[in-house]
Amino acid sequence: MTTSKPTLHSIAGSRSFRVLWLLCELGVDVDLVDYQITDGSLQQDGFKALSPARRVPALEIDGITLVESGAMVQYLCETRADHSLMPAVGNEERAEWLQWLHYAETLGTGIQNLNMQHLFLPDPAMRSIPVMGIETKRLAIALKALEARLADGRAYLLASGFSAADVMMGFTVWAAAHYVDFAAFPNLTAYQDRLAARAAYQQAQALEGVQQFYTRDFYALPEV
Amino acid sequence: MKITLHHAHEARSMRVLWLLEELGLPYELQVYDFFDKSLRSDSYLALHPAGRVPAVEIDGQVMLESGAIVEYLAERCADMGLGRAPQSDERMAYLDLLHYGETLGQHLANLTQAHIVLYEPWMRSPTQMGLETKRLAKVLGRLEQLLSDGRDYLLASGFSAADVAVGYGIWLAPRFVHLDALPHVAAYRARLITRPAFAKALPPEGARRIYTQAFYEVPNV
Repeated sequence: MTTSKPTLHSIAGSRSFRVLWLLCELGVDVDLVDYQITDGSLQQDGFKALSPARRVPALEIDGITLVESGAMVQYLCETRADHSLMPAVGNEERAEWLQWLHYAETLGTGIQNLNMQHLFLPDPAMRSIPVMGIETKRLAIALKALEARLADGRAYLLASGFSAADVMMGFTVWAAAHYVDFAAFPNLTAYQDRLAARAAYQQAQALEGVQQFYTRDFYALPEV
Repeated sequence: MKITLHHAHEARSMRVLWLLEELGLPYELQVYDFFDKSLRSDSYLALHPAGRVPAVEIDGQVMLESGAIVEYLAERCADMGLGRAPQSDERMAYLDLLHYGETLGQHLANLTQAHIVLYEPWMRSPTQMGLETKRLAKVLGRLEQLLSDGRDYLLASGFSAADVAVGYGIWLAPRFVHLDALPHVAAYRARLITRPAFAKALPPEGARRIYTQAFYEVPNV
């Protein structure tokens, strides 16, 4: 297996942040290729050859291209040495780690749906206010479960400490705060601050540049 | 392993049910009605705070997230050969496709919500429904490309847990997207649904189903 420098195709503020942040946590150098959501760069043939569904992130690594951030996170943990970001197969925290990793994407889906309604449907008549309401409520319920998990005073999702599940979740929590008020979630707020204070998180932010999604800190549901 | 699966017919928990059958593991099944409030009962919410299926109890530990459960069961039953171990050449493709199951699944969930859960036309956004349908077709397009070399399953070496993660969505997809332009996907679907373990994951005769129409057309704007 070759371990040449990977190339990450990314949009600032998208799920690709998870992968970039993890690469920074692992100290792996990466070539970054930036795309914009609205300039058609995702529709170019060269990108379609890499990611047939034309989505970011796409990661070229060890001679193959991956298109799922969760798979990239798992693969990097399995193949890059000298870290404690993943409980190995058979470890007692393995099931929990896998669950949080996938749960981050359950939240990610809700955020993606809210992004579509709030950011990408330009005409209010195109939106469905019931869908926006349901998605916001679901996201709040999913965050409440996280708040409950953190209520025992643990610093990270796993009792044993920081792991790649936090990298998956950290991006999601950052994005979710644009749609759900965190006032009722003190543990989650502290968790988010703890993640954002990590050197690798800040390094990834600097590498990625200005996020392209949100022009406001908070998007309230439209008045009916 | 002592396993209890909390399941609703035709929901994502079908993945876990199907995999349990493929693995030949014994399990207890608790079936909930997707449309009544049984997933909102206090006892169920204690198990799954968001009131969704699946939840699975494995030797007393509760796991949510069908993708995580599928990965975990394949790891625990490594000798059954449905996972691909970290040292396998197919590990990257296995992980990528396993997670891709939910990239496919989320569009189906959004379309299910729009067509079936939001029963009043004013509640829906035909624009969103149109976009979700297009995105679903694109996601299937990648699989069409992958399968076009004539392989029977997603991985060249044969059937795996990734086929279970993705296969649930493949089974469901033709209710929202015509597969005429995706012949390899259609053939793959036919191959999956004739597996005996898959048939055991389907609702029994007479059970209330989520999907009652053969095809859900996007309403005209």
